[in-house]
Amino acid sequence: MVYFILKRLVQSVFVMLAVAFLAFSLFRFVGDPISQMTGVETTVADQERLREDLGLNDPFVVQFYRFTTDMLQGDFGFSYRTRQPVADMIADRIPATLELGVVALIISLIVGIPAGVYTALRPRGVLTQGILLTTLVGVSIPTFVIGIMLIFIFGVQLGWLPTFGRNGTVQIGGWESSLFTVQGWRSLILPAVTLGVYQLTLTMRLVRAEMMEVMRSDYIRFGMARGVPMGRLHYRHALANTMVPVITIIGLQFGGVIAFSIVTESVFQWPGMGLLFLESIRFVDIPVMGVYLVVIAFFFVLVNLIVDLLYVAIDPRLRVKDL
Amino acid sequence: MALRNLGTTALMGAAFAVCAMGASAETLRWASTTDPQTMDPHAVNSAPVLSFLNNIYEGLVRRGKDMSIEPSLATSWEPLEGENGWRFTLREGVTFQDGSAFTAEDVLFSYQRASDEAADVRSWFAPVTDVRVVDEFTIDFVTNAPNPLFPDSIANFMILDKDWAEGNDAALPARDAENFATMNVNGTGPFTLAGRDPGVRTVLVPHEGWWDEAEHNVTEGVFTPIGNAATGLAALLSGEIDFIQPIPLQDVAQVEGREGFRVLEGEETRVIMFGFGHEHDTLLYSTDVTDVNPFQDPRVRLAAAHALDIDSIDRVLFRGKIEAASQLVPAGISGYSEANSDRPAYDPDRARALLAEAGYPDGFSFGLKCTNDRYINDEALCRAAASMFAAVGLNAELSTGPVRDYWPQLREDDFDMYLLGWSPGTFDMEHPIRFLMHSQDDEARLGSWNFGNYSNARVDELLPMIQQEIDPAARQAMIDEVVAITQEEVAYIPLYTQPLIWAAKDNVDLTQRADNFFMLRWVTVN
Repeated sequence: MVYFILKRLVQSVFVMLAVAFLAFSLFRFVGDPISQMTGVETTVADQERLREDLGLNDPFVVQFYRFTTDMLQGDFGFSYRTRQPVADMIADRIPATLELGVVALIISLIVGIPAGVYTALRPRGVLTQGILLTTLVGVSIPTFVIGIMLIFIFGVQLGWLPTFGRNGTVQIGGWESSLFTVQGWRSLILPAVTLGVYQLTLTMRLVRAEMMEVMRSDYIRFGMARGVPMGRLHYRHALANTMVPVITIIGLQFGGVIAFSIVTESVFQWPGMGLLFLESIRFVDIPVMGVYLVVIAFFFVLVNLIVDLLYVAIDPRLRVKDL
Repeated sequence: MALRNLGTTALMGAAFAVCAMGASAETLRWASTTDPQTMDPHAVNSAPVLSFLNNIYEGLVRRGKDMSIEPSLATSWEPLEGENGWRFTLREGVTFQDGSAFTAEDVLFSYQRASDEAADVRSWFAPVTDVRVVDEFTIDFVTNAPNPLFPDSIANFMILDKDWAEGNDAALPARDAENFATMNVNGTGPFTLAGRDPGVRTVLVPHEGWWDEAEHNVTEGVFTPIGNAATGLAALLSGEIDFIQPIPLQDVAQVEGREGFRVLEGEETRVIMFGFGHEHDTLLYSTDVTDVNPFQDPRVRLAAAHALDIDSIDRVLFRGKIEAASQLVPAGISGYSEANSDRPAYDPDRARALLAEAGYPDGFSFGLKCTNDRYINDEALCRAAASMFAAVGLNAELSTGPVRDYWPQLREDDFDMYLLGWSPGTFDMEHPIRFLMHSQDDEARLGSWNFGNYSNARVDELLPMIQQEIDPAARQAMIDEVVAITQEEVAYIPLYTQPLIWAAKDNVDLTQRADNFFMLRWVTVN
């Protein structure tokens, strides 16, 4: 088990290196950091001096080598735009993105799994058709449109919820959380729903499809014939077997939720990593972009690892085989 | 029933919110698209930073509501006797926000800091050869030639406390890592920093010991950057912010249609123009003319100018909010040439005739480069212009891109014609002559934004004379000559002055200054 985890963590280093390499080879096409860092009156000579100082004239390989070796030594560099240490900037923004992603995931599970079970058990019900139609519409509209719509309905027209930002946060040992105040939740709920809609629909449809599949299988029929109570049959036997593939997909999707919260964060001015990344693109802030992409790659690897471990926990057959 | 209950709760919530707002009536919450990236007044020469820091720091002189220069930390200034330069008499009894006194030593220190290689604002001090402290409240700036505009050119040169900066290891602006002055302030201005979370929230509170009479009634100012225009509008309409700069043109009707909100409109000093590759011997993007550059012929440039219908562009793209431009600064800016206030009329027949005269009766194709995120409606403008050009036979191959990628392309001469907006940093005609009309000269730091390298010996000769001329009439005569030459030769096609559109709640009184700076000290919340 320990060997398995260690092996995966070593693999993750190579994944991150590959991501860093790809990212770095793309940065030259993003634009010129110097023209974004200096004012219009700055002389060409001063711009060139700055370019030389930042090492932007060095060949690609040299720049990449410097970036990776610095990072392996724990030096994440400084932002071109704000001059702050990149590690601090990203670390400051991680809680906002993670809380947003996790709450979005929880919303999608709390609503998605019961809805999936319900629609599987009553495939022809009116409510089922209604749910399926609504979620289809929800998943077809782009995230930013959903976000803007929610903002205008609940923020502007009804005035119930804040339209932007992350308010009511509390510091808990270096982690800035919005989960402990009413104000915090009021700010969190719209972006979390926006981010969770796609995930919700996916979860529901997956659960529904798997559940319908499982309900047709022999052991369920056998259970019915033996007179096992329907509730027990549905929720103990059928649902548990439904969850194995569902967890894999949802787990893998969660990495995507974190990585692609960029759109939601931008619409709600949510101060997470995604918003920081967007600002960094605008200013061609290469150090921040580089570190962000590597951190996201790490999240992906980590989530996949957790999914694999969960798999083992849920399916006893794998436990025997793997160890 | 449940729904009705919900409605009542919401109503109560709203009532509560209104009460809460009443209690803190002097808090002003405002938003803009870009966060000031640093609190260091010498590190970055960009409008978001200088605009924001003008609330905290002050210069020797400052600009009033109408952009005129007025005394600030200097009470008066006069030319030096016997040499070139200016003597500033400093205000006595001014204190920094940490309580220490302001003296000439702080000015000298700030000059050294701002003119260092580490500072992005050092170009302001290119003409300065020496700065001398005469006594505690008198300081001389010696320049290499007579420089009547020098006091105007340093309105954004902000003064730091010497002891504070040196004591906190911030004697120079941050180069690699941040330093103390990146996140902390100590100015003499009307407001001081009460909280800073970069990219999220910056809080200002009044500086109690400010030397000037406060016109505002703001007890707290909270700034939030909101990058997404729709989000910013929603934040304003929901009442979470009191003021936003700017809003997109298409949202003006939305705001005007709502009770309790208003739109503030003005003319920015930025003139939008097309530029040519004067120095290019061939076109880069043409499919039919590959051996010469037709734009080297002034008749072809004039034809391009006659092809553009600014009135239609104004009506269709800008809802009647732009002002057609005849030269590179708008009317009202010092040095504006009244004598040359006509721009080439929209006249497609004349344009076709000029093209035929120049040897291109069937026109030709060329590449037009534009930004798509720098100026208001820039991409739409270029599309409209391209179709107007096409109507007279000038087939523009349009390519647009984000500004972060744009300047490098122009610097590498990768264009046949390009879009440019220019706001005169010194609010004087000399500024665009220096940057856009003088031939490129890296040594003398002239013509650095003259991408096509327009070059006219007489213009080059006139620039230093304009810079040094003390007599306003003689100076204006020389500027008129430059404007006449560049119009005659169609060095650029000036199009229009970009509008400035802000939106605020009705109960907020504020001043919209033409440089797009927002001054908290002119805000009253009613």
